[in-house]
Amino acid sequence: MTFDWSVVWQHRDVLAAGTGTTILLTVATMAIAVPCGIVVAVLRLYGPAPIRTVATAYVELFRNLPLILVVYWAFYVLPILTGLGLPPLATGLAALSLNVTAYNAETFRAGINSIRRGQVDAAMALGMSRGQALRRVVLPQALRRILPVLASTWVSLFKDTSLVSVIAVAELAYVSMQIRSQTFRVLEMLTAMATIYWLLGYPQAKFVDWMQCRFKVTE
Amino acid sequence: MDFDFSVIADHARFLASGVGVTLTLAALSGLGSLVLGFIVALLRLYGPRWLKAIVVLYIDSMRAIPVLVVLVWTFFALPIVTGLTMPPFIAALIGLTVHLAAYAAEIVRAGIESIRPGQTRAARALGLSPAQIVRRIVLPQALVRMLPAFGSLLSITIKDTAIASVIAVGELMRQSETVAGQSFQPIEVYSFAMLLYFLMLFPVTRGVDRLYRRVAHLGRS
Amino acid sequence: MSDTAPDARREKASGAKIIRYRGVIKHYGEFHALNGVDLDVHAGEVVCLIGPSGSGKSTLLRCTNGLESIEGGDIEFEGALLARDERSLRGVRQRMGMVFQSFELFPHLTALENVAEGPRTVRRMKIMEANRRALAMLAKVGLSDKPASYPSALSGGQQQRVAIARALAMEPDVMLFDEPTSALDPETIGEVLNVMKTLAEEGMTMVVVTHEMSFARRVGDWVAVFDAGRIVEQGPPEQIFDAPTTERTRDFLSHLGWAG
Repeated sequence: MTFDWSVVWQHRDVLAAGTGTTILLTVATMAIAVPCGIVVAVLRLYGPAPIRTVATAYVELFRNLPLILVVYWAFYVLPILTGLGLPPLATGLAALSLNVTAYNAETFRAGINSIRRGQVDAAMALGMSRGQALRRVVLPQALRRILPVLASTWVSLFKDTSLVSVIAVAELAYVSMQIRSQTFRVLEMLTAMATIYWLLGYPQAKFVDWMQCRFKVTE
Repeated sequence: MDFDFSVIADHARFLASGVGVTLTLAALSGLGSLVLGFIVALLRLYGPRWLKAIVVLYIDSMRAIPVLVVLVWTFFALPIVTGLTMPPFIAALIGLTVHLAAYAAEIVRAGIESIRPGQTRAARALGLSPAQIVRRIVLPQALVRMLPAFGSLLSITIKDTAIASVIAVGELMRQSETVAGQSFQPIEVYSFAMLLYFLMLFPVTRGVDRLYRRVAHLGRS
Repeated sequence: MSDTAPDARREKASGAKIIRYRGVIKHYGEFHALNGVDLDVHAGEVVCLIGPSGSGKSTLLRCTNGLESIEGGDIEFEGALLARDERSLRGVRQRMGMVFQSFELFPHLTALENVAEGPRTVRRMKIMEANRRALAMLAKVGLSDKPASYPSALSGGQQQRVAIARALAMEPDVMLFDEPTSALDPETIGEVLNVMKTLAEEGMTMVVVTHEMSFARRVGDWVAVFDAGRIVEQGPPEQIFDAPTTERTRDFLSHLGWAG
């Protein structure tokens, strides 16, 4: 049983590219899912009844499905729905975005709801509109509760990007396992894959801890 | 664009076996991670310093590494290191348990730490030993607060079993893939799988939401 | 049936009627919070609303600036019927100041920023001007040394005074106080009541829901006693506290241990 760890170094370019795709997917998904999450949350809280129902149904649906299934389903359904042949990367991004938007919507909604009603009353008693009260009084306070949760969602998303490997998106998990198949260096490649995730994910997890400390809600 | 859902009826038994495996895997790894999580949490809270460091490293590592990677490593790489081969189900069970136990440990720790120090002080003033304090005063209160978080973890556990499809465990996701591949009707099959997962998960998340509301006012101390 | 005392006994009845409540009715589902309330508030008057908890006093206040809607009757403000739509109500609220039992200062803003928030956001004043007015208001309530403090660093009495300054910064025509001292420690109640007394002496029209009977007795011009959603007796403080004409009022005062 000999181990040849040089395979990892030999394929460092591919691994780096895969890592880059993982990071790209994470950033792009959040860039979509944060604004969309806010929109869905606001629709759920303040929209007319039918819109509220649709928004709630959307959130409940994606909270109750495994992401890997959503990825597969998107892979087969999106081409038919949109009529275009989407590259796997776009499909993966779509599946991830749908999923994370739902979680973010819940985070924003809970954050906004956690602000005491008296605060809105006081703002409106001064003559502010609902929108002004939301922007100047509710959201700044809600952000303290929302940011740590968003950070946590970010780290989960980072890990979940590994799931789009099942539709052959060339992120870190996929390329690692490809190299494994080609070189038969199972232990080396899989350990390298785990280690790279660990190197990227560990500081993120620590960042989440710091966020939760920094934004400790005292009330 | 017409759909033929009879493919589901034809393979009903096969898909049902997948559901069985999903639920079994979820139950066993759920239980396992609960037990392991408790032990790990207690070690972290009350163990010697060097042990605490190891435990913290383990917990934070599981927060950094995706489930997919843990499962794949457990199934393919662990046998190389240990020399034992294991069937996919066992590998998935081990991988999921080890991964989830880290989260369970954090839930336990947060629950215990949320008990006001005044409670332990009062107990000590009454003359209770540390072990008695943990058993009779801290844990009962902490358990109530942990329940909603554990409910969430259960939901995550069920969803994570679907990832075990990647190492060929015959749970629902895998069975759906097989049927979809053979019948060339992925939309019908995967839609049905979505329905099944939703039916399994919705009661759990609903229950958790309700638990959160019930426990929220208990949690004010 | 509400008791309307003859205007002759009402000191400030010559002033314009700032607020008129006519047969105001408010339900919360099955529960009738207000069962036909008739009351006038004249310019420069301090009208105190007293009565047991749940008798509708705070509800009436919240209906006055449209935070709650009414199901029956009318509320008139400065001669015009109170609007029902949000846009008009916003304009009305700018001319009313409200002070809450739980202060409701904005915790993410300093005292100065809290007081300046109304002028800045609602009146769209420039920041410098808004801050100048805010400083003046803080000085008025005796807190000119605390502009940079966050609410969490202030005592309850100080927070409530900032809240009063915040309402005053909008230069309202009437101030609505909803149990302003009920959440305060006994030591700090006095500082808030003093600010309110000064405001009254300067001629501010005030509607005050309070349990501080000595305040109502000494500073109030007109007192209305609430019970189960209606006013059972109203009149000058001397009448209500020294010679109440209804059983309910006598009961209420004796329960409070009011010795006059």
